[in-house]
Amino acid sequence: MKKKIKLALAQISSKRENKKENLQKIEEFTMKAEEQGADLVIFPELSLTGYVLHDQVYELAEVIPGPSTKRIEELAKKTGAHIIFGMPELSEKTKATIFNTAVFVGPTGLIGKFRKMYLPTHSVFEEKRYFRPGYQTAAFNTAIGNIGLFICYDIFFPEVCRLTRLKGAELIVCISASPAVRRGYFEILTAARALENTAFLAYVNLAGVEDGLQFWGGSRLVSPTGDLLAKAKYDEEDLVICEVDYSDMRPAETFIPLLRDLRPEFFDDLKKHSETL
Amino acid sequence: MCIQVKLTPAVLELDLPEVEKRIRRFIKEYVENAKADGIVLGLSGGIDSGTVAALSSLSIGGAHVTGLMLPEKEIYNSKDIDDAKVVAEKFSLKTQVCDITPVLEGFYKTIPIFEEADKLCKGNIKARTRMIYLYYYANKLNKIVCGSSDKSETMMGYFTKWGDVAADISPLMDVYKTQVRKLAEHLGIPPELAAKPSTPALWPNQLAEKELGIKYETLDLILYGLERFMTTEEIAQQLSVKKPLIEKVKNRWLAVEHKRRLPLVPKVAYRTVGTDFRLPRHTY
Repeated sequence: MKKKIKLALAQISSKRENKKENLQKIEEFTMKAEEQGADLVIFPELSLTGYVLHDQVYELAEVIPGPSTKRIEELAKKTGAHIIFGMPELSEKTKATIFNTAVFVGPTGLIGKFRKMYLPTHSVFEEKRYFRPGYQTAAFNTAIGNIGLFICYDIFFPEVCRLTRLKGAELIVCISASPAVRRGYFEILTAARALENTAFLAYVNLAGVEDGLQFWGGSRLVSPTGDLLAKAKYDEEDLVICEVDYSDMRPAETFIPLLRDLRPEFFDDLKKHSETL
Repeated sequence: MCIQVKLTPAVLELDLPEVEKRIRRFIKEYVENAKADGIVLGLSGGIDSGTVAALSSLSIGGAHVTGLMLPEKEIYNSKDIDDAKVVAEKFSLKTQVCDITPVLEGFYKTIPIFEEADKLCKGNIKARTRMIYLYYYANKLNKIVCGSSDKSETMMGYFTKWGDVAADISPLMDVYKTQVRKLAEHLGIPPELAAKPSTPALWPNQLAEKELGIKYETLDLILYGLERFMTTEEIAQQLSVKKPLIEKVKNRWLAVEHKRRLPLVPKVAYRTVGTDFRLPRHTY
């Protein structure tokens, strides 16, 4: 496994409902990132289709593997890069059950996927109307490290990131479609999730405007001690190349031994009280 | 976003450069996506239309913005025309003046049940006539109509249905009136214009605050409290205002939802416009 990897935070603005154009953009950004030596290129939540889809999501969802993931697999094979992107996933067992999914592809093919666990349905969000939640956290042992995945609103629930870390993830990737009024929350939580788990956290947000919702960009890489290592522009498309040096994890864990100090005996109590809220 | 529940004027303070940036980006992207040649807006000489004119010009360039001045003899006010010209000049937008008096008189003469004394019905004809002019220009010039309604009047239903509120975009509809005034000053609109009393200009000497029966400084705080799910008791207590006044505002706030929505449709089919027919906007 590589000790150091180069990440590309590919903060794009998606063209809604236009998979062809978005796939082209994913290809362009991946090629540019590959030219700069990126091992892993990360695109935002639902970057294949755009975020505000309403009823059109039924037409756009695809099974995994499917035509779009095949295309990204070819791209990964061609460039030698790993790619993470978001798309509406149609369950292979049903005709209209859809997940909000992060897909992880490598040069040798599909590595895995993560289905968003917490679906915001308040304010401007209506995800529970369209998506079924996922039930599994995801950490994948790969040639570029143990990579965990989660999506946007999952960041508000520390147990998602914690479980991902406990499954072995050293670099946790959060893909997002966060509108501008929520920027402050994510700027706090990205640092908090990295620090409390002493893991690298890469956050990649959409840019652009969809139905009046303005996505704030601001993608970033946070160190295991919560420090900002790299940051993309606010609001606009951007491609930021940055480095994850896994050897930074040991000094971080020795300085703040948060995983050593975990107290699992409280977790049953946490479950009990959550059920009786 | 800060969620404050202490109702002081501070809660209405905006990060003005950030709000300006966000609205300008919204306008620019909308016009581009619509493949329009620019914007048409009504330029009344008031603060809302002046602010929208400024934001539109800053977003897409004044050469692409047409400000229509639509005077009529009953409420003709040279000060309003002068104020509109100040904004037009400062933000380099094109203007055109259309005297709508003959058209209005045509309506008055040809509506068999027209009643001169009914100010409201007559005034609404004016607001809807202005809308027709704006949309004619928009159609003819391949532009979009930019509305100037603010959040205070929208939440109070203080507008004419299909009249002044009719537009393709409403960049100020999430900004309360007292915030619009500050945004206007921030954009460089002269302070005396920013502080000018608001009027829908439907009849002579009509003033918004007089008609609403409340100052915007208080109204905006009440609306802010209602927006954040505060009870009328909490709002009354925090503002030291009598509860019946808060209830009056809340009742109006609730009663005018019909003015803020598309017409209600009885559900008879699989997917229904306005309820469960949910499609993204493609074309603008």
